[in-house]
Amino acid sequence: MKFLSYLFHRRRIETEMDAELRFHIDSFAADLVRQGASREEALRRARIEFGGIEVHKEECRESLGLRLWDELRGDCRYALRMMRQNPGFTAVAVISLGLGIGANTAIFTFAKEILLTTMAVPHSERLRMLNWEVVDPKAHFPGPVWGSLSPSLPSPFPYRLYQDMRRHNEVMDDLVAFKDVYHLSATVNGQAEPVDGMLVSGNFYQSLAPRMIAGRPIAQEDDSLSASPVVVISDAYWSRRFGRSVDALGKVISLNRVPVTIVGVNAPEFKGAKAGGTYEIFLPLSLQGEVLPVRDGSLLAIDNYWWLMIIGRLKPGVTDQAANAALEVSFRNSFRAAIRYTKDIPRFSIIKGSRGMDRRQLQFTKPIYLLLALAGLVLLIACANLANLLLARSSTRQREMSLRLAMGASRPRVMRQVLTEAMLLAVLGGGAGLLLGYWGRNLIPSLFDDSWHQSGIDPQMDWRVFAFAFAITLITGLLFGVAPAWRCTRADVNSGLKETGRMSTSRPKAFLGKALVVFQVSLSLLLLIGAGLFLRTLLNLRTTTIGFNPEHILLFDINPPRSQYPWPKGVLQQIEEKIAALPSVQSVTMSAAPLLANSMDRNCFRPTGYPSGPAEQDPPWTNSVGPNFFETFAIPILNGRSFTARDNQNVPEVAIVNRRFAKEVFPNENPVGRTITSCEPGDNPAPIEIVGVSEDAKYSDIRAEAPPTIYFSFQQNYKSRATFALKTAASTTSIVAGIRESVRSVDKDLPIQEVRTQTQQIEASLSSERAFAILTTGFGLLALILASIGIYGIMAYTVSRRTNEIGIRMALGARSSQVLSMVLRETFLLAFIGIAVGLAAAAALTRLAASMLYNLKPTDPATFGAAALLLVIIALAAGFTPARRASRVDPMHALRHE
Amino acid sequence: MLILKAVSLGPLHGYGILLRIQQISKDRLEIQQGSLYPALYRLEHQGWISSVWGESENNRKAKYYSLTAAGRKQLQLETKNWNRMADVIGGILDAEEI
Repeated sequence: MKFLSYLFHRRRIETEMDAELRFHIDSFAADLVRQGASREEALRRARIEFGGIEVHKEECRESLGLRLWDELRGDCRYALRMMRQNPGFTAVAVISLGLGIGANTAIFTFAKEILLTTMAVPHSERLRMLNWEVVDPKAHFPGPVWGSLSPSLPSPFPYRLYQDMRRHNEVMDDLVAFKDVYHLSATVNGQAEPVDGMLVSGNFYQSLAPRMIAGRPIAQEDDSLSASPVVVISDAYWSRRFGRSVDALGKVISLNRVPVTIVGVNAPEFKGAKAGGTYEIFLPLSLQGEVLPVRDGSLLAIDNYWWLMIIGRLKPGVTDQAANAALEVSFRNSFRAAIRYTKDIPRFSIIKGSRGMDRRQLQFTKPIYLLLALAGLVLLIACANLANLLLARSSTRQREMSLRLAMGASRPRVMRQVLTEAMLLAVLGGGAGLLLGYWGRNLIPSLFDDSWHQSGIDPQMDWRVFAFAFAITLITGLLFGVAPAWRCTRADVNSGLKETGRMSTSRPKAFLGKALVVFQVSLSLLLLIGAGLFLRTLLNLRTTTIGFNPEHILLFDINPPRSQYPWPKGVLQQIEEKIAALPSVQSVTMSAAPLLANSMDRNCFRPTGYPSGPAEQDPPWTNSVGPNFFETFAIPILNGRSFTARDNQNVPEVAIVNRRFAKEVFPNENPVGRTITSCEPGDNPAPIEIVGVSEDAKYSDIRAEAPPTIYFSFQQNYKSRATFALKTAASTTSIVAGIRESVRSVDKDLPIQEVRTQTQQIEASLSSERAFAILTTGFGLLALILASIGIYGIMAYTVSRRTNEIGIRMALGARSSQVLSMVLRETFLLAFIGIAVGLAAAAALTRLAASMLYNLKPTDPATFGAAALLLVIIALAAGFTPARRASRVDPMHALRHE
Repeated sequence: MLILKAVSLGPLHGYGILLRIQQISKDRLEIQQGSLYPALYRLEHQGWISSVWGESENNRKAKYYSLTAAGRKQLQLETKNWNRMADVIGGILDAEEI
């Protein structure tokens, strides 16, 4: 603190110091005059007795801690002057560091958003989510489940269980229930739009306490069947639909045709209790029955319907173990009372909930670590590069350093000077990197986006990002500054000052520099191999046989709200007819699950008459498809027939199976004409006739083999929503207006959702492969450029140092081609060692990414070979210019130079 | 410690401190005049003395130093330490004479 005030009042301190010392001398002189000396004599003696005024002033400054500052400023000024003198060097240094630090900053910003940012509510660190796992995955589970049962995500609970557990809860502040819901159709001022929302229990706002920026939250009284329906909207929705107007409060909008009143607006930072979604409308649980009715009415009344996520804050001082134990007892009791099924009570546990329900972390953790590692490698290469350049420069500055030492500078002092120069470069590079990172912060999330809508990841820079950028800047500065600084202090004053010091051949031949180049080459090879592996994976995935033709197919979803269409078949069929009549549409069909979109359905089916009992094989995959499905997607029918418009609810149900199902279930038989029966408990066990066998086509995941699949006729086995697929030669934009018009003519409140082409749909499932291919290729190229600069630098340096030697060789009769090959041989040796090290490292490390590759061994010889070859070529190209310069050394000139 | 002691008797300017030290030590202690100031700055930086600008005897502006509370404590501590040290060393020297 004091030090800072010294800095700010520097001028005053200096004048005061002057005045004080002058007063001293004057007083002393006056005393001497009084003792009888003449005035001049007195002043002279006073000055002598006082000693060197400037020396004492400097000591005073040192006492205040100002000397270090002065020296630092001097060093900085000198360093800046050096930079201006070598603009090329400075530019290379700042750009390479900027790119390295920028890449790291951008990735860290992304990582921070995914891994560190918690739900914007107070005490989010105490949030826990309730979870259970089935004991026996094969056993029958009591009740329908709406939601994910993935082991690493929290599992859903029935409303009844939630209420029981909430009543008996003593370890959490309160238990709060919520459910994420998608594709609600919200009509504001006559315009329908699909929005995602969140059903929340009445205590959600009161207990979690997220910030609101307008109106009031949903209160306990609102969560009751008799209350008038109210909703809270998100800040984004408020801006988009209402232009942040206060009039939005109290406005009645319709949600799936149910009129609801907007009472409040969430703060922009609160995105709901599930990370990664864009939830725009928050409504009380009690509205579920009206807005999103299921076949059986309100879910609140169904005791064994598993659908609600439960979150709560641990009471202060309660440990996880205690809370877990208490809630488990309560869970088991409630389970017994509510489910009335005592076998196999699921294992209960609580899991971290500071981000709410978080699927993104699951999806991105591994890619993020890989990306951070890659970006770290690039930064390391940049560091090695700079260290190398600085080392080369420090040898040319040997004379300067020797001079400094000879004039009395201490070695630490010289070292500090060199380190300051490095740090200044690092800080400039860090600043450039921060800027780049700021511009590029949306780049990485956008690489993972689907091309037709955004992921909703909006990474923000905050102090953690700045701290990170600052820290890596310091570390890089130290990394590439220490070696040259150390080298400088080893300078031998005597030989450094002699003119002939240049030609002494006994010094180590830039061993450190060469080691750095080898290091650079091996890291670059590592990155290139990574790039090659991911590029080939992407290529493999794009060229893999999927069993259908995705070209010229446009997809969109129609989701008729059940509150309006309890039986949506009619409206879907109407839409299908309208669209089929559009001029540029060749054929149109629909399916319950879109293809290669990570969406699927599996149900237990067996050949009719098969003895009932536990299924010995996994249930087959099922899909409901419209009449022209196989024609539109060009999936061949091998045997029997395709679906027709006559396969409707007036005739017995029929099915088409794919080749794999036929082979697995009816080996060596013709399945056409045979029947299958549902083995799902509670389903109609009527036999379903197989009327055709289709060729295998991939269903939900492009990486998996085509699964055994049963197709049902959509008209006989309709779902509440459908994905329409139409084959058209027209462009997407030109036809969407026509589709919109057709749908509006059927129902003006029905929005069309997720318009995309089938190829875009497939690309979306390749987003992480694509992102990795792009990023590793970018990093690989960057590393290659840096490495070639490094090789060029070190070779140019050795050649310039060996000018004498080369001159002598040539004077003794060496041909220039011999000199050329001598230098190139050295370059090749460096590259070769680097490549050998890099190959070994790659062989060890690529295994870690094996699960992200497709149809490719992590030690794919073609990729390894190509990357190594590329590096050899680049290395020789980088070494060629210095080699040619060496071969053109004029022996007379070189020797006379001495 | 000498400076602290000199200042403890009342606010003094730099030259006054020098004179005071010479006076207390009866001119037996010779200090280079200029090196007094770095010491003063250091003591002030450590917070043991504080300074204020005032009028000197001959009506010039001069910087007066006085002891702070922390300085007083430090002086007591150092005096005690010094006395103990002197006792120990004196004891050793006496013992040798026997």
